[in-house]
Amino acid sequence: MNMTIPPRKEVITDIKNHGGLVAAVLPIHYSRALLRAFSIYPVEVWGPPKVDVSLGGAHLQAYICSIVHNGLSFLKMGGLNIADLILIPHTCDSLQGLTSVLIDLIQPEQVIIPLYLPRGQREEDVAFLVDEFRSLYTRFSDLTGKHPTSKDLLTAIKREEMSDLLLTKLYKNRQQVGLSNIDFYRLVRSREYLPAEHFSTLAEKTLQAATEPRPGIPIILSGILPEPMEVLTMIDKMSGLIVADDLACCGRRLYAPGTSPDPFRRMAERIVYAPPDPTRGNSIEERLKYLTEMAQNSGAQGVIFYEVKFCEPELFDLPSLRAGLKEQGLASIIIEVDINNSLPRQVATRIGAFLEMLDS
Amino acid sequence: MKIAALGIDVGSTTVKMAGVNASGEMIWNHLEQVAPRVEKQVDSFLNKLKEEINSLAGIPLVATGYGRNLVHQAVKNVTEITCHAKGVYHQLGHGGTLVDIGGQDSKVIVIGAQGQVVDFAMNDKCAAGTGRFLENSAARMQVSIDEMGSVALSATEEVTISSTCTVFAESEIISMVAHGVAVEPILMGLHRSLIKRVVAMVRSVGLVPPLLLSGGVVKNPAIRKVIEEETKEQVFLPEHPQLMGAYGAALLALKVKQK
Repeated sequence: MNMTIPPRKEVITDIKNHGGLVAAVLPIHYSRALLRAFSIYPVEVWGPPKVDVSLGGAHLQAYICSIVHNGLSFLKMGGLNIADLILIPHTCDSLQGLTSVLIDLIQPEQVIIPLYLPRGQREEDVAFLVDEFRSLYTRFSDLTGKHPTSKDLLTAIKREEMSDLLLTKLYKNRQQVGLSNIDFYRLVRSREYLPAEHFSTLAEKTLQAATEPRPGIPIILSGILPEPMEVLTMIDKMSGLIVADDLACCGRRLYAPGTSPDPFRRMAERIVYAPPDPTRGNSIEERLKYLTEMAQNSGAQGVIFYEVKFCEPELFDLPSLRAGLKEQGLASIIIEVDINNSLPRQVATRIGAFLEMLDS
Repeated sequence: MKIAALGIDVGSTTVKMAGVNASGEMIWNHLEQVAPRVEKQVDSFLNKLKEEINSLAGIPLVATGYGRNLVHQAVKNVTEITCHAKGVYHQLGHGGTLVDIGGQDSKVIVIGAQGQVVDFAMNDKCAAGTGRFLENSAARMQVSIDEMGSVALSATEEVTISSTCTVFAESEIISMVAHGVAVEPILMGLHRSLIKRVVAMVRSVGLVPPLLLSGGVVKNPAIRKVIEEETKEQVFLPEHPQLMGAYGAALLALKVKQK
């Protein structure tokens, strides 16, 4: 199927031309609706890959992951100049450190806004995030001079919920929509910068073009993000079929629609009760249960943990997670990458061997 | 000689080719140091074989190893993990934990009772635990790679090389030589350092006995001795340890032919 996804630059220019503000948002969880209620458009910064890391390297330790290194390098080379503000969720120690480096040392022109996330799924975690969103509301009001009402907020929330429902539907029908692994993730990841309404149009079109299920060796891809994206083409070529994912930039953000009439609580609940994620404090047991059910529902035979080197929240869970999966009869493999490097031959051999092992 | 299928293993150090008959027995093989132009080398391999058996028509070729994608004559490319497991299982007739120490990487492959790959680990990011570690150290000690094992085994004592990193190990060697330590104990220490790295990989996947060895490095007798000492397991070797990748590839080519 032919699918045209507008490039990031074009989308940003269009937003700016129409008087919108742009927020550069670092990984992983935040409320798109809250930003949109102030006519601030989120454009996510997952790296980006392949930039001159020496610029960021001057401020960060060598053991900080390439997503954070690249984010800072990209900012220092002027890549975020178009952004009016930078929102940094407190996803991990490295991103929290980046916030401090930016606020205390680099002091870029843009406003730096941290977002503290709770590490649990209890009522007090929801309450904490509600307070965080209320503080953000005040900061965005100060920044824009706007004061969206509860109704405005709920309108923005419902627009995002619609888009997320379509995203979830895409996931459920991923084998029938006729997209290769790489095209599927190009579409899913366009949610990182496309306004919800544009993404929804694309998703609806894709869902209409249903075809026969694609053949392939069914696997789950877990980790932070599928970069370099060549890995997806490589999996396609090796007859691997990603039937489900546990990726931070994708499947872990399949937020369910909220029910609360209070917009702040609704935004908070959507994030707190999202699919398990080590950066939000979900236990290994919860993740194991989630992955096992995902494999059962999707027919996946194995899990590729495709990890960014030095990503502490991810790597810490892996030994126990893999042992648990093995007990359930699910094979797994760890591939560690730096998003700046092109895909090495060794990765091809490991993934190839893993797929051959599952196929045999 | 009736070759029914061929396998080629384009490794980082050597290129190996094996031919099997319809029963899957290896009846022909060839090994050379890898040339910079792999495509040309493979052409010359095949031309040589063609001269011997007149025609290659109808003989499928499966490629494996580091340079497998450069073999355009292959009907299929398969990873060395699968091929080594296939070759060793076919030759020894049972599964186990296979350690393959190659020139540029090392692998631990758990082979199931039916010859299938059950799990594997690869050390492919640095030279620690690979043939390159020994090659580098041998060059520094001015000992030929072929003699390295026997020289090490002649040691009456052994020093500890704490680095598994090839570069740092070289620094340690320089320091020891400067302090007058003899070649033999250093070489023995180097073998143990390499094997400790490999054994750590074996433990990461979990050793399922028996312990099997393949790859060019196992021609070195010190490797076999030290790995037995470190794992407390007897090791088993196929007849042609260096050719197991190519042999496994040939067996897979035979399967393609029989389909």
